[in-house]
Amino acid sequence: MLQLVLFNVTNGLIIGSFYVLMALGVAMILNLSNVINFAHGNFLALGGYFAFIMIPYTGFWIALIVAPLLVALLGYIIEQLMVRRVYSRDPVYSLLLTFGLSFIIQDLCRYFWGPNGLPLTVPDSLSQALSSDLFFITGYRVFMMTIVVVSVVGLFSFLRYTRMGIRIRAGTLDLDTVAALGINVRLLRTFNFAVGIYLAGLAGVLAGGQIGLNPNMGDDLLLPAFIAIIVGGVGSLTGTLLGGLLIGVASALTTVVYPSAQDAVIYVIMALVLLIRPRGLMGEEGMFT
Amino acid sequence: MSVTTTTTTKLRQPRPALPEWTMPAVIWVVLLSAPLWLSLVGGYTALASHVVVMALVAMALNFLLGFTGVMSFGHAAYFGLGAYGTGLTLRYLSDSTWFAMLNGILLGGIAGTLLGTLICRRRGVYFAMVTIAFGQIFYYIAYRWDSFTGGYDGLRGFSRQPLGIGPWTIDIQGNGTLFYYFVLAVFAVCVALMAFLLRSPFGRTLIAIRENQRRAQFLGIAVDKHIWLSFSISCFFASTAGALYALLNNFADPTALNYTISGVIVIMVVMGGMRNFWGPLVGAAIYVVLQDYISSMTQNWMSFIGLLFVMVVMFFPSGILGMLKRRATT
Amino acid sequence: MSMLEARHATKAFGSLVAVNDISLSVAPGELRAIIGPNGAGKTTFFNLLTGFFPPTSGAIYLEGENITHLTATQRVKLGMARTFQITEIFPELTVHENVRIGVEAAAGYSLHMWTSRADAVVVRAGIDEILTLTNLTAKADRLVGELSHGDQRAAEIAMALALKPRVLLLDEPTAGMGEQETYQVAGLIRRLHKNSSYTIVLIEHDMRVVFNLADRITVLTEGTMLADGTPQEIAANPAVQAAYLGTAE
Repeated sequence: MLQLVLFNVTNGLIIGSFYVLMALGVAMILNLSNVINFAHGNFLALGGYFAFIMIPYTGFWIALIVAPLLVALLGYIIEQLMVRRVYSRDPVYSLLLTFGLSFIIQDLCRYFWGPNGLPLTVPDSLSQALSSDLFFITGYRVFMMTIVVVSVVGLFSFLRYTRMGIRIRAGTLDLDTVAALGINVRLLRTFNFAVGIYLAGLAGVLAGGQIGLNPNMGDDLLLPAFIAIIVGGVGSLTGTLLGGLLIGVASALTTVVYPSAQDAVIYVIMALVLLIRPRGLMGEEGMFT
Repeated sequence: MSVTTTTTTKLRQPRPALPEWTMPAVIWVVLLSAPLWLSLVGGYTALASHVVVMALVAMALNFLLGFTGVMSFGHAAYFGLGAYGTGLTLRYLSDSTWFAMLNGILLGGIAGTLLGTLICRRRGVYFAMVTIAFGQIFYYIAYRWDSFTGGYDGLRGFSRQPLGIGPWTIDIQGNGTLFYYFVLAVFAVCVALMAFLLRSPFGRTLIAIRENQRRAQFLGIAVDKHIWLSFSISCFFASTAGALYALLNNFADPTALNYTISGVIVIMVVMGGMRNFWGPLVGAAIYVVLQDYISSMTQNWMSFIGLLFVMVVMFFPSGILGMLKRRATT
Repeated sequence: MSMLEARHATKAFGSLVAVNDISLSVAPGELRAIIGPNGAGKTTFFNLLTGFFPPTSGAIYLEGENITHLTATQRVKLGMARTFQITEIFPELTVHENVRIGVEAAAGYSLHMWTSRADAVVVRAGIDEILTLTNLTAKADRLVGELSHGDQRAAEIAMALALKPRVLLLDEPTAGMGEQETYQVAGLIRRLHKNSSYTIVLIEHDMRVVFNLADRITVLTEGTMLADGTPQEIAANPAVQAAYLGTAE
């Protein structure tokens, strides 16, 4: 019994950490620029696919570092060409834009790599289970969690201690004042966007190693990312972090008692949060008027 | 039928404007005569019915988006609920098309009204996110509860039944053209209701909220309540469209509930012209025809639809009617 | 009894105290001007009065009734109407339509999905009256967004009047205006004060307007009240002169 619970809680934390990685990327772009990036799941897929192309030449480790950078570069280009122009307009436009991009990227993935799954080869050193009792804790899963933890710590440190990070945080609270202080808001937004996309690409490489690649792989993570943000509280990255873990674990635990409701439970949690504490676990009052 | 009165002072219009009823007149002539000329341009009656159904759901969304200024990106849910409600009734409960439609409309409308209470205090992108998330709940229910709903393959095993009105029976089952006129009649009723509402004090208040929420608030207007009501009304119209959709295809499937369709509904509104009453009809016509054409030509129609979204946002944000209006007044 | 009163109103944002223990009382029919250098906390004080946010401590009273914990919308319903530093209007609607929204809101018709003949007559009369009062009848069919600054402000005030308020709060009504427009708006405010006996509280920077219109003046600086008195008293007050360094333009 204990093993079953442990199994599920571990699963929950793993899937939760993926939700977190996705959600943090979406949240960063949302908080600073008021853009809901519908194409986030597709950037995730691209991360996996870019790694797929690279691995035969560079091996897994280099691909892990470089593929997300390439995706971030693509994100940068898209931001400069298109997203930038819709910041000042009604939010419906940025939503439609990222929506359209989502279709295009997804179809392009299908076109270049086919609609079926592709495997992403990970180094053998990672694939071993750590012990026969806890067989489900494979090296790869530990590795994934480690990378996620490192990334999250890295992100939070960046936002706390670096100049750029502090400016981004200030910008999410009051962009006008930041601009009035002479800071280049355009640059800030572009950089912020690229960071968010980087996180998506990273999640893609990690996910690819675990479940393989396919054009729709990001779709199942997109809505949970939104829900993690809503549950955690819009505007608070810590909240997003907690939200993601919470829904991941909740979903995993539900599989024990009521498997077909595992998707539904995160929506139920969201509905409860909206009912009882609409600003989210750590959201601020009046952030969204 | 632009609800904001077009001005007639010398400042705005250098030449006399066409009377306000020109647009609706042209539109109704085209719609009423469609079965006559459709096949000449390569169309077919079911396509026209499809256009009218999508126009209705797009206009339903526009009530909220274009006239109240509130962005819902999850309207497919209520559309889909209308479809499923109708289909399930015809399959399991009864032979009456009227009853089935009623159930569909109520299902989607009431769901929207209830969910509206949870989301109507939020604003802007946050509101949109929540609408997306709620929309997906129904998608998952339709998908998972496959014993009841047919799951991924969709709900089959029902078809629209001949309509009984008093002593007459209208064969909308066998006769596609009669069905088209039925759809058009329902559309007409809904459109008339919407226009009526938009001209009332309630409708004017919605427009005020769109124009400046803060000012509306500081005039003592209960903004949350108005948004909730607008949302509910919009969902009722959306589910009506869904009911017609199920009858049109004799089929209901989960993709009708997916956020993809929600996005499509929004693009139809934006493409036609967001603040224009008839904009969504224009947008729906373009989209339905385009999608029909492209998907018959290539596997990669998704890219084209995506491209369409991007192009509209970047180059035609005010939509077709928006651009025409600007042309007419400069 | 005072019309509008603040007792020891304080508003702190974290460690920043924007409004510090301000007490003032406005009598019915009085025109009170609130002046002070930039950053003195005038708009924050207004926000406290109108219910934009609750005070950190202290209380607000409207005709003796404690309204400290009422929302902005509730205060509007009790008769507090406000205009903003940056004109808040409905830009794509005509002047007539703007005022109509106000009149219908005040009459409680905002949720009505149909209008009766009788309702329409009441509304029409209300709109005409206000348009006449604010001299906007000739421009009634123009889009507010296309009007001059001065006319937009008049339209905003017209909407506030539609609410039949007990007290009007005007935040820098002549901000950014030239000579002619300032004269126009000031004239409107004077008419409302003298002819229609409205209680008016206004924030102003233009000293000619202030000294010409006000019954009493309250001077704020750095969140605290520096002085409070008649225009003569304030003009003669050395502390006020020091704070302003002779900026009596």
